[in-house]
Amino acid sequence: MLRTLRAFAWMHWHVLLNSLGRTGARDTLERFSIAMDQLGPIIAAVMLVPSVIVIGALAVYAGYHLAAGNAPAFTLNALRFVALGATTLSVVGPIALPASERTNAVRLLLLPISRKLLYIAQAAGTVSDPWITLMLPVLIGVPAGLVLGGAWMAATLVLCAGALMIAVLIGLSMLTTNAVHLLVRDRRRGEMLALLFIVVIPALGLLPGMLEARGRRHRDGPAVSSRPDANPPTWLRTASARLFEIVPSELYIKGTRAAVEGQLAASPGAALGGLTLTAILIHGFGLIAFSHLLDSPSVSGPRRTGGGTRVWRGTLPGLSASASAVALTQFRLAFRTPRGRSILLSPLLLFLIFIFMIRRSGGTEFSFLMGTNGLRLATFGSFVCLMSILPFAMNQFGIDKSGLTLVLLSPITESELLLGKAVGNAAIVVGPAIICIALAFGVFPGGPASLWLNLPLVLLATYLLTAPAAAALSTIFPRAVDLNSIRRGSNPHGAAALAGIATFVAAGLPPAALTAAAVYLFDRPTLAPLFTLTWCGIAFVMNRLLFILVARLFAKRRENLALSV
Amino acid sequence: MELAVETRGLTRDFGSFRAVDGIDLAVPARSFYGFLGPNGAGKSTTIKCLTGLLRPTSGTMRILGTDPMTDSVSVKRRIGVVPEDLALFERLTAPETLSFVAQVHGLDAATARSRANDLLTVMDLKSAGQALVTDFSHGMRKKLSLAAALIPAPRLLFLDEPFEGIDAVASRQIRELLLSFVSRGGTIFLTSHILEIVERLSTHIGVIASGRLVAQGSIAELRSGTGMGKSLEELFIGLVGAESQTTPPLDWI
Repeated sequence: MLRTLRAFAWMHWHVLLNSLGRTGARDTLERFSIAMDQLGPIIAAVMLVPSVIVIGALAVYAGYHLAAGNAPAFTLNALRFVALGATTLSVVGPIALPASERTNAVRLLLLPISRKLLYIAQAAGTVSDPWITLMLPVLIGVPAGLVLGGAWMAATLVLCAGALMIAVLIGLSMLTTNAVHLLVRDRRRGEMLALLFIVVIPALGLLPGMLEARGRRHRDGPAVSSRPDANPPTWLRTASARLFEIVPSELYIKGTRAAVEGQLAASPGAALGGLTLTAILIHGFGLIAFSHLLDSPSVSGPRRTGGGTRVWRGTLPGLSASASAVALTQFRLAFRTPRGRSILLSPLLLFLIFIFMIRRSGGTEFSFLMGTNGLRLATFGSFVCLMSILPFAMNQFGIDKSGLTLVLLSPITESELLLGKAVGNAAIVVGPAIICIALAFGVFPGGPASLWLNLPLVLLATYLLTAPAAAALSTIFPRAVDLNSIRRGSNPHGAAALAGIATFVAAGLPPAALTAAAVYLFDRPTLAPLFTLTWCGIAFVMNRLLFILVARLFAKRRENLALSV
Repeated sequence: MELAVETRGLTRDFGSFRAVDGIDLAVPARSFYGFLGPNGAGKSTTIKCLTGLLRPTSGTMRILGTDPMTDSVSVKRRIGVVPEDLALFERLTAPETLSFVAQVHGLDAATARSRANDLLTVMDLKSAGQALVTDFSHGMRKKLSLAAALIPAPRLLFLDEPFEGIDAVASRQIRELLLSFVSRGGTIFLTSHILEIVERLSTHIGVIASGRLVAQGSIAELRSGTGMGKSLEELFIGLVGAESQTTPPLDWI
């Protein structure tokens, strides 16, 4: 068993070293691009070291003072927070972060190792997960502090609780990883899960705010007497509190406290028993999920058949047939990947929640978005829609993967390709942006018509300058991505994303300034569309000139793109 | 002799590694040219250079009489390619993929629809219907990639391992299709490790080893020139200098 564990540790270590050392970069610019992309994880890894030291020192301090019976409240609360964070991340982390290396079940099946040993070897690998690494100093530090304080018996019990806590965290991580892989084996089911994670879960985060706004309105308004209690019902609160008590991190903290207080027969035993039972249950379920995954490791799910072979195709006005084909393909990509669908849905969902909250609170919530009408809200919503194209626009060649080779083999000029991509990206966000403006106008009408008309022009002017910058950044910083991925795996290159946000802001400033000048300086809102339209003309000329330069850049970098994406 | 592909001193370096080392290809028009070589010999790199995916470090090329470095779009209009990575959009369906290729090649909608229909039938991909390429098996992808290469009715086809991963029935269909393509005046430049197929289909052979072209000509010319055995396998092993390599006994097996 030790030999197997050593082999797995060796393999993980070399995978890490090779990913850092052998980048396969072909020139200086590509080396720079790869180095920038790796900077984030490296900084995170470096940050982990002082974090581990600080948490470890805090744990020793807490243990020492616990032994003396005068531990400051903040120390235990801090440790409780770390333990709760580690528990939460053990569930969320494997969903949000890629863990394909850990669960290449086909490769594992070929090894002459029993399933139980495979499970143990895989589980041992999770100790390197940052959330578990951060928990280790707590689990060692507190008993060490207790030993320093002379509480040997308590230290032994707390050390046992710590070992069980680690076992629970590893079990949670393994169970989540295997459950997620079982779910996403079916591509459609996996896409649904990804979309749920990207769109619905962040939106759920706004629910407490919505409920609070609703509650406040009931308390302040005339409807108070009819619905005196807008808080959750008592049974729900009681159930939540009881459920929280059996969260592993709470069991660990409770066990630590009880061990120190000397209630050897009762609470520490209960807490340790609870942790033991939790660890057994979680690992049991984890092993079942793992075995199930190994039973059928390949992709499952029905293959869609039939449905005819007719395809809609058309040439967009002002575009060549080739550029239209590129634009249409980009547009289709948005509808067929979780990340693309999130670009279409997330801003709209967010916008609807904002409207709901503003209406519920009578305009007191998010007052900065509300004037006497919905203009500010429409501006906010439509810009969020425009910016949501970032993951596509800032990596517009990388997202095509091997489709880019098909494009590069096709008789398409650089200009046609870039124009097609720009139009395709615009087509993805124009629908949600218009819906936001129309909704804001419909729900909160009023204000000068000229300013409502001005808003689409501002968006157009912003996009005209952003599009060539996005193409250039995608050319310089390509990143092979998986648009099925929930988090980092589908993100553009970090440098491209950052520069992209800056470009959006910079490109939006001139039309915003011109609008502000028309409204506040000249006090004539009717001038705003004229000013912005003029700026659109200038931006269009700049767009054409910039695209000529980007086309040259693309021609120089096409080989790197073909080989790196 | 009219040449479909002609190179002079074609060289491609990757850093200090020379993948293709000054090769002079002469692929006759209307021929079925088998481009052979051991793994890592430089076959795919050569195809990438010829199809414009890679820029040669030095040397000249003429594809169907045109220099692809100066007029790549014109060359690409007349060639079809099945590259190593198959080059397909994962999130398009088979009909959409063919529609995309047809549109960028400037085919009108009716012609594109008709040709796509024919190709999907021949490649047995009609049943895939609205399935996305990402759900395709390797064989289906290969057939779709070949269909995409054929839909613009090119005059020259570059095929990088087209028979790898294809079942016997589909392989026979594709062989017949390719022979029909050549008989109608097309030229095929093909790499494959399946020497039996190459021997059966090719009119001309080029052999590359360690980036250098070690032999080129019709199979008959090569046999008479080298006097190295009768089968293509023997000829190939002799040309790449592998006849002296003996397999270690591995007594522990």
